[in-house]
Amino acid sequence: MALYDNKHWLLSHIRNSFISSDDTGISEVVMGGENLLQTLFTAKCDTYPGIEDNEEEEEIAQSLDIHTEFGVRRQRSHTSVQLERLQRNMIKSANLRHIKWELTPVSLTDEEMAELFPKKDITNQKINYNSELAKLLKACPYLPQNPFREYSKYDGNTQLGEATRKYGIFITMLNLERRNYPMQVSIIATAKVHDLIGLVCWKCTIEYPDCTLKESVDCYALYIAEDDGEVDFDFPCLDSRETVAKFGFGFLALVERDSKLAPAVPNHSPTSQEGDSILCENINTKAQQQLEGELNKLLAIEAPLYQLYQVNILNKVRAKAEIHLGISGQKIELDPVVKQRSTSKFPWTKQKPATYDMDCVVACDLTETKSNNRAVFRLVYDSTALSSSSIGDSVPGQQGTAVWSNFKHHDFEAEQKLAEDIVQKINNILELRCSVRRQEYISLRERKSHRRRSFHLGPR
Amino acid sequence: MVDNTLTEKVLLATGGYDHTIKLWHANTGVCNRSLTHLESQVNALEITPDRQLLAAAGFQHIRMYDLNSSNPNPILNYEGISKNITGVGFHEDGKWMFTCGEDCSARVWDLRSRNLQCQRIFQTNAPINSICLHPNQGELILGDQSGLLHIWDLKTDHNEQLIPEVDASILHVAIDSSANYVASVNNRGNCYLWKFNGNGTRLSPEHKMTAHKKYALHCKFSPNSTLLATSSADQTACIWKTSDFSLKQELKDEHQRWVWDTAFSNDSEHLLTASSDGVARLWNIETGNIEREYEGHQKAITALAFCDP
Repeated sequence: MALYDNKHWLLSHIRNSFISSDDTGISEVVMGGENLLQTLFTAKCDTYPGIEDNEEEEEIAQSLDIHTEFGVRRQRSHTSVQLERLQRNMIKSANLRHIKWELTPVSLTDEEMAELFPKKDITNQKINYNSELAKLLKACPYLPQNPFREYSKYDGNTQLGEATRKYGIFITMLNLERRNYPMQVSIIATAKVHDLIGLVCWKCTIEYPDCTLKESVDCYALYIAEDDGEVDFDFPCLDSRETVAKFGFGFLALVERDSKLAPAVPNHSPTSQEGDSILCENINTKAQQQLEGELNKLLAIEAPLYQLYQVNILNKVRAKAEIHLGISGQKIELDPVVKQRSTSKFPWTKQKPATYDMDCVVACDLTETKSNNRAVFRLVYDSTALSSSSIGDSVPGQQGTAVWSNFKHHDFEAEQKLAEDIVQKINNILELRCSVRRQEYISLRERKSHRRRSFHLGPR
Repeated sequence: MVDNTLTEKVLLATGGYDHTIKLWHANTGVCNRSLTHLESQVNALEITPDRQLLAAAGFQHIRMYDLNSSNPNPILNYEGISKNITGVGFHEDGKWMFTCGEDCSARVWDLRSRNLQCQRIFQTNAPINSICLHPNQGELILGDQSGLLHIWDLKTDHNEQLIPEVDASILHVAIDSSANYVASVNNRGNCYLWKFNGNGTRLSPEHKMTAHKKYALHCKFSPNSTLLATSSADQTACIWKTSDFSLKQELKDEHQRWVWDTAFSNDSEHLLTASSDGVARLWNIETGNIEREYEGHQKAITALAFCDP
């Protein structure tokens, strides 16, 4: 026990034990007046900090027999918490005037009664039937149903006495300037994440009337975010069926789930009818552009994630073979689809499985778009890097040594949309990596295209 | 787009079982303030004639809130009553307040702080469910649980009793602004109407109808006295013409539950309802469509107050 390592404490304990257990009082007379600690042990005990500077505790005798509440920080008792609450309520109710029911001791005379409670003649009264509400309703007759209105009831700001949670929410759909400022959202603690998304959308429609949102809460997800608004895509989005109280994050980001679902709809805020449709269209197109930009960014972020595509590889003789193309941030894997019985008549069309490190992949481009909605794309890689395991070989000083013939390629054919996606993904990865070989290849390609502009052979 | 001063003229407050009172932008459906109503549901809400205060009747208290500040707590607390207070209202000049409650009493509270001359009490043998003031400001009409309708003359202290239906609890009473009719609804869904005879206060039965198949909760005349709204546990509110007592419109929605309270817009073209599903609704009486919904309460809404000058 650490306590007993303390010589200072032990000495004090022994002294106090003598004093307290000696009924004759002699021990107290002998030892009580001295302050041994200061006179004798200061030098030796200086490894135990707090002897000098803690005067107060010094005064309290240290002994197991002596119990005190003052030495240690005591847990606040239930009573004191309650007292404090009472006091708070008192302050609150200082502004509250209490009026107790009481009857006047003297009963009123008939005259007094008639005077105090006269009957008004109501035969010729003019009543004004103007309705301000009707005026207001006429002022904005067109109040489209906001699909998120039902979630407004979860707003913690309009609740009193209910447990609430506060979040800073980054709305990734907003334009750049505003996206970096979180929207403060307070929600009742018992609400589900689904309700929180709805509430965020609801507040969004009110605070950012020019931001277009999709009609359904299901189009959105909440991700954990940094306080600077960076979305943490490493973690999955919050499960929308969970209650919000389960998550203790201060900052979240509202992210659209999938752009292919449901087209964006104009915001529903009370607007007058005139000019509304034009406004909506403008907003729509703007939002669309915004969305596309956003989506591309998302794709770039997601690019290093492993994904498997099924494409056809084209051989030298343009024969097709089905393969699986696995792309991740580290490498590209070519894996032939194994069939029970090879339908191909040509043995040379058989593709061996291969793996290319992302460092040796230098380019990927669409080369051909066919009329049948299919496209061909080319993957160019550095074949020397395959044999020499370390990439460090070719880095310094060898910039100019890259030889065109070292770059080999594979051609693949896939559905156009898929091909575009793959090319985009690989290019996103390559951009992230900025490998030396890729730079070499690009400069080489540029020089080459200068030299022979009229035709291009070999890997482009 | 929308004039703010105009918005502030229209006041809508709702309250219920979730111990909060919410104030709404009536035209947008957005809640702009919440008030605390601790330890009690809200049985009735009323805005003072000067539009400064909101009175909320709850268990043993009538609390008043300042409408022109952002203070979520009450500033006045009328107390000293042993049971639920079921109804609250004001003299048109704000001289006094009247309440009724389950302690079988109706009270008149003098609102002047030092002078309590106007304090009055009226006692019956059954809990009083509803109270309303005759437009002449001199008579209070009360409906109690034993099925008795009382007309309490404040000037003479006389009271007149009517028994529309034996053993049926009167849930709500109403009088129209020109003091032609008095209406009451009871727990069997029946609605009774009386007509005032000439200058006197004597009432003669005018009409009886089965307004709802279940428990009726509320009735109210439109400001122009041409319509009567009744609401019920059958999840609807009905609009009746006072000319021939025919049904003009049934206000009904699949989400709507018990309809506890109603209020007409001043032009008698819209009706606000408060329902157990936690939503208040604004209906167009002519079309029967919902024009606005006020969502935000976590539990049933049992009272609303609306001011549309």
